Order: sequence, then C-alpha cells, then structure tokens
Amino acid sequence: MAKRILITDDALFMRVTLKNILTQNGYEVVGEASNGVESVSMYKSLKPDLVTMDITMPEMDGIAALKEIRAVDPNATVVMCTAMGQKNMVVEAIQAGAKDFIVKPFQPDRVVEALQKLLAA
Amino acid sequence: MKVEYVSPFAEASVNVIEMLLNIRPERGALSARPQIFTTMQINIVCGITGDIAGLVIYGMSMATADKIASRMIGAPVVTFDGLAASAIAELGNMISGNSLSLLSAQGYHCDITPPTIIRGSNVKITTLNVPALVIPMVLPDLGEVEINVSLQERMTQAA
Repeated sequence: MAKRILITDDALFMRVTLKNILTQNGYEVVGEASNGVESVSMYKSLKPDLVTMDITMPEMDGIAALKEIRAVDPNATVVMCTAMGQKNMVVEAIQAGAKDFIVKPFQPDRVVEALQKLLAA
Repeated sequence: MKVEYVSPFAEASVNVIEMLLNIRPERGALSARPQIFTTMQINIVCGITGDIAGLVIYGMSMATADKIASRMIGAPVVTFDGLAASAIAELGNMISGNSLSLLSAQGYHCDITPPTIIRGSNVKITTLNVPALVIPMVLPDLGEVEINVSLQERMTQAA
C-alpha cells in the first residue's frame, strides 16, 4: 500500500510541486495543510506516515507545529522543507524531533531520497 | 545601511535563480534608492526581523513575472492566477531564506515573514529612515528583477 503523506506549506505553488513529486514516485498525498494549525489538526485526523513541514507560515510556524505533532505522537515522522537553512534553525528542528531538513530550492531527487530512507521499513 | 547586509542577497539570488530556473543571472551595479521610490508592476515584499530588520522587495515587470512563473510551474502561465502569484512569492521566500543563511554565517540571526505581493506600477513605497540599496539582476530570456534591500541593524542596548 502506498505510504500516506501530509504536505504542509503556505505556498500553493510548493504544495502543487511537492504533490507532483510525491505522486509520481508512488506516494499518496492524503492532505495539504497551509499553516501549522491546519497541519496539527490534519495530523490528528489523518494519521499520515510522514509530514513535510515548511517553517515560515502564518498562524503557526513549522517549528511550533512540529513540536505539537510530536507531543500528540512521539513517533511522528516529520521532514522540514523550508527556505530557512540557517544552522540554528536546523539544530532547533532536529532537537524538536524532525527526521530530516530539506532546504529550498531542492531537486526532486532530494525529497524522494529522504522519504525512501525514512519510510523504508 | 551597510553593504555587508546586501551582498548575501545578491549571492543568494544568483544561487537560487540558477538552481530553480536553470539560468545564470547577470548581476548589475549596486545603487542607492531615494527613500521614496515607485514600484515595478509585480513586487514581492519580504519582511526581515531579528538582528537586522527591514524589508526586501523583489520587483519585476508583469511579462517577467509570467515567464518566471511559467518556468517554475513547468507550463505556460496564461493568466497571472493564484498559482503563478504563489510561485513568484516563493521565489522571493527562497532568496530571502537563503540570504539569511549567509547572514547567519556572519553572525546576524534573523527571521522572515511570509511574502506579500503588491501589484501595480504606480505604488510609492517609503522606507522611512532606512535607505534602500538596489541590486539589478538580468535573467537571460526572462527579463530583469530588481532587488531592493532596506535593512537596519537593531541596536541592542544594555539595561
């Protein structure tokens, strides 16, 4: 069965791009959240296998959403996918439980490889 | 405004445009802007907060915005709709984000706000007490993108 992914990004363009990459590589995109609040609530209802998480978003940013999702489900697999690649941001995300950190702009292969590695089991 | 705040934006623009659009932009000469300036047709406004604060505005013509968005989406943009606007905004977000990574290597830690798009070439923008510097970027076949950087170091005062 295809692995179920929840995409989180405030930019429609990024949600469309990520959805195309993921669908073409055999993943099922079960939800698209446009801010942190939506992502946390969709995580609870959809129970996806993996979440992609932007950081700079209105309402609730991706670091806060990552923390809330990990509080709800300590085993949640969240991959950051953001233009904010500073070292302190990467460290904060990894400490908060993110499994990988992809800096935009990215090549599609970078996303696919990250997901394959994390969802291999 | 110090030029050292501006160089990261020039460097990040070249890197992001190369990777995203597969073309090598040509960087023009840096110049100062008066405190009130008139916008181009499409303007992506990114707020910067933290050790350095202010605004970065990426301006371009409608034709250039259409061409850039078409290349990002991978299909021609017929009308500048929500998806095209979002693509252009994301370009600004990526350049700003990558610039902040370079600034953080210099010891300045900042954050960005989600981008806003202002459409209309007759809009006047005033950056108040912070002058703007402009970096013109020529994108082969696509047109010109003007990067207006208006940033100021936040004074940290001892109590």
